[in-house]
Amino acid sequence: MPTLIRRQDDDQFILGDDPFTAVADDEGLPPGDVIISFARFQAEGDRLLAEGRAVGVRLEPAEEVEALAYDLPRIAVVALAFPKYRDGRAYTAARLLRQRFAYAGEVRAVGEVLREQAGFMVRCGFDAFAPADGASPQDWAHAVHRHRHVYQRAADLRTPAYVEREGG
Amino acid sequence: MKALTANRLIDGDVVFWKAGKWVERFGDADLFDDPGAAEAAEGQAKSQPTVVIDPYLIDLMESDGLWAPLSYRERIRALGPTNHPSHGKQAEGGEVIEALLHADGAARSSGRVNLIKRK
Amino acid sequence: MYQYDAVDQEFVADRAREFREQVARRLSGELSEDQFKTLRLMNGLYLQLHAYMLRIAIPYGSLNARQMRRLAHIGRTYDRGYGHFTTRQNLQFHWIKLRDAPDILDQLAEVDMHAIQTSGNCIRNVTSDPYAGATAEELDDPRVWSEAIRQWSSLHPEFSFLPRKFKIAITAAPNDRTAAKVHDIGLMIRRGRDGQLGFEVIVGGGLGRTPYVGPTIAEFLPANRLFSYLEAILRVYNRHGRRDNIYKARIKILVAALGAEEFARQVAEEWAKIGPEGDLPDTELARIRGAFATTVFEALPATSEVFETAKAADPALARFARNNLRPHKKPGYTIVEVSLKTIGDTPGDATSDQMDVIADLAERYGQDDIRVTHEQNLVLPHVRLDDVPEVFAQLQATGLASANVNLISDIIACPGLDYCALANARAIPVAQQIAQTFADPDRAEAIGELKIKISGCINACGHHHVGHIGILGVDKKGEEFYQLTLGGSGAEDAAVGKMLGPALPYDKVAAAIDTLVEVYLRERHEGERFLDTYRRTGVEPFKEAVYADAH
Ligand code: SF4
Repeated sequence: MPTLIRRQDDDQFILGDDPFTAVADDEGLPPGDVIISFARFQAEGDRLLAEGRAVGVRLEPAEEVEALAYDLPRIAVVALAFPKYRDGRAYTAARLLRQRFAYAGEVRAVGEVLREQAGFMVRCGFDAFAPADGASPQDWAHAVHRHRHVYQRAADLRTPAYVEREGG
Repeated sequence: MKALTANRLIDGDVVFWKAGKWVERFGDADLFDDPGAAEAAEGQAKSQPTVVIDPYLIDLMESDGLWAPLSYRERIRALGPTNHPSHGKQAEGGEVIEALLHADGAARSSGRVNLIKRK
Repeated sequence: MYQYDAVDQEFVADRAREFREQVARRLSGELSEDQFKTLRLMNGLYLQLHAYMLRIAIPYGSLNARQMRRLAHIGRTYDRGYGHFTTRQNLQFHWIKLRDAPDILDQLAEVDMHAIQTSGNCIRNVTSDPYAGATAEELDDPRVWSEAIRQWSSLHPEFSFLPRKFKIAITAAPNDRTAAKVHDIGLMIRRGRDGQLGFEVIVGGGLGRTPYVGPTIAEFLPANRLFSYLEAILRVYNRHGRRDNIYKARIKILVAALGAEEFARQVAEEWAKIGPEGDLPDTELARIRGAFATTVFEALPATSEVFETAKAADPALARFARNNLRPHKKPGYTIVEVSLKTIGDTPGDATSDQMDVIADLAERYGQDDIRVTHEQNLVLPHVRLDDVPEVFAQLQATGLASANVNLISDIIACPGLDYCALANARAIPVAQQIAQTFADPDRAEAIGELKIKISGCINACGHHHVGHIGILGVDKKGEEFYQLTLGGSGAEDAAVGKMLGPALPYDKVAAAIDTLVEVYLRERHEGERFLDTYRRTGVEPFKEAVYADAH
C-alpha cells in the first residue's frame, strides 16, 4: 500500500498507509476508497458513498472550498492540490476548511509538495502529505518544529507569540 | 567568436570557461570560433551544477585588435560596475580591460532572453 | 526603537539556522539551483551581475547605533566597505558570497536584524514615516503599527506564497513620506469624529509596468480592527489575484479589474466572516508600544543661541539648516536629514566608515535612533538644536554634509545595469551627471524642491513614475536610452507622471533636465514648485524646449 506522511495529534510525523486511490476523471473506478475530482464527486459521489466506500475530493486551487461546505460531513479526505509549490491558494483553502467549516477529516497536500512548505502547511491545518521531494517523516518534523515561536493564530492551534508573552 | 560565462555558485563571481575549468578574467577565457565546440563546452558546463549557475555563451566583437563581449551588459559583467572603477575585474587594468572599456555600440541583451526569470 | 524580546530573538535565530542548512544542501547538490533560488530569495539573497546581493530588512526604516555598526562591520568584512540604502528603507550589499551568507545572517540575528521577506511573493518589509515619533504632524506613532504588522506578516502561514510580492506602507502624518498611495496597501492613520483612532485604507497602488495611484476602499477602519481587515484583503488577493502572468499578478491588477467598489465589497464580506477573532488583542499592541524605548526629551527653549550664533558665522551650516533640518515636536530639538546624495557619489550608498560615524552621532546626540527614508537618505530624528553645529561638523568630516535634501540633486536611483541582472540601462551614472549639472548649491536652492527618480528598467525600483521628473532606462536596439516623464508624485498629492516624448540617448539626459529646469524657471509663478508649474502649464512648453534642443 502506498504511504503518506501523517501528522499525529501529538504533533509527531509518521509514515502511514494510504488506503485511497487517486482517480483521474478519465480513469475507471477501482474498488475501494477513492479520491476524485469535485466534478466527479458531484456526478458520482452519492452512488459511491452508498456503496459504502470512503470518498475523498481533490480540489484544484481555482475551485472554491465553499462549494464543498454542504458535503463536508460525508467526505473523508480533502486533497488540496499544489500544481506549483509557489501557488499558495491551497493554504487559504485548508484554513477555511478547518477554521470556518470545522472540517475534522483529513486535509491532504498533493502535487508539488516540498519540505520547505511543511511549516506553513501544518499551520494551515494540513495533516497528510505526499511529498514530491522524497522527504521523510523526520525531515518533515524537523521543518515543522524548526521555529520555536509563531506570531499568528492559525488552524494548528499553536500559541501565538502575543499569547505566549502573556505567560498564557 | 564566442566565450562561455557563468556565475560561480560559491561566491557569485563572474567566471569564464577555459579548458574545462573556470577562470575569473575574461582575458584568460577560451574563445570559440567554432560554434560546435562552443556548444559542446556549454553542454559540459551545464553538468557542473554545484560549481556554477546558469552557464551561457556570449557573442564577442573586436575592439582595439582584441576581443570583447558584444553586449554592454556582458562588458559590465567582465569589467565591474561603471560607478566604482576600483570594484570588479576592471581594477586590475591591462590591455584586455582597456579593450573592453573601449568597445561600444552593441547589443545589450544578445543571447539572453527572459531576464526576469533569472533574478 | 522597538526592543526585541526572547521570542523575537529566537524567531530570527531559528530562521538563520534554517538558511544555513539550506545553503549546505545546495552546496552538496541536494537542492538544485531552481529549488534553492526560491529559498535564498526568501532570505533576500539575489544573484546579480557580479556577485550575490543580500537585502537586509530595516523594518520601517528604523535602526539603532549598534545595528548600524553591525551593518558597517558586515560591509567591511564581507563586502567592499559600503552598503546601499534602498527605496524601501532596506540595505543592500552588492558583493556577497554565498558561503558567507549564513554567517552574515547570524551576525544580523545577534543585533535583532534579519533578511526575512525582503524578497519573494510575500508581505515585504513595511514602509513607514522616517520622522515617526519626532514630527508634530502625526496622530499616532506609526512604528507601533508597523512593528505589529512586521510580526503578523513574518512567516505568515497563509500568505507566504501570494501571487506576487506585497508591500504595505503606513503613515500618520498629512505629509506622506512613505509613498503610501503607490503601495499594495497604504494605511493612513486618521482620527474619527469621536476622537477614535483609525485607518484610511488604500489598496492597489503600485508602480512597475502598470502604475496606479491606489483607491481608498475604507475611509475609516477602527484601529483595533486592523488585523482582521488586513487578513481579509490578503485572503481575497491570495484567492483571486492572477497567477498566470507575472506582470498581472500584483493586487493593483485585481483591484482595477474588479473595480474598487466590488473589491471593497468582497473584502467587507470576508472581513465580516473573520470577525474580531482575527484582530490583535489590545494588550499586545500596548506591549509593542511599551517596547519602543522611551525617548526622554529635555525641556529646552525653542531657539538655541549656540545654533543661531554658529549659523550666522557659517553660511555652509546655514544652508544645511535651511535644507536638511525639519521641525521637531519638542522645542529645542530638530530632525536632521543626512543626505546620501553627495554630488558625484552613488545615490543611497554609504561607506562602512560613514555608517560608523552616523552610529556615533546617533548615540551621542540622537537618542540612539536612526532612520532610513524611502528617498534613500538617513535621518537622525531627535537632535538638540544646541548640538547641530557639532553634528554638522562631523558630517562634513565624513563627507555626508550635502545640503540638498529635496533639491534637484537629491536623486533616487536604482542600481541599474551596473549591478542588476534585470536592467536595461544604467541609472547611477545618469544620476551622477545630473547632480554634477546642478552642483552649484545656490542654483539648486533657487530651483527648490524637485524630485528626480531614475529606474534602470520598468520594474521601477527607482520609482520613476512618481518623480516630478522621472527617468526610465530602456533598451533601444541594444543601446541605453532614457524615457522622461513629468508630473509624478509619490506624496499625498500622488500622481503618475506623463511621458514627455521619445526616449533620449545616454549623453543627452542631463542636458535635457537642464532644459526642463530652464523652462520651469521661466514659467514659474511666485511660490510654485516645479511640480506646480508643470501642473499649471501642462507638458507643452517643456516638450517643445527639450525636443527643439534635440534637433
Ligand atoms: S528598476 Fe529594474 S534595473 Fe532598477 S533595480 Fe529594479 S529591477 Fe533592477
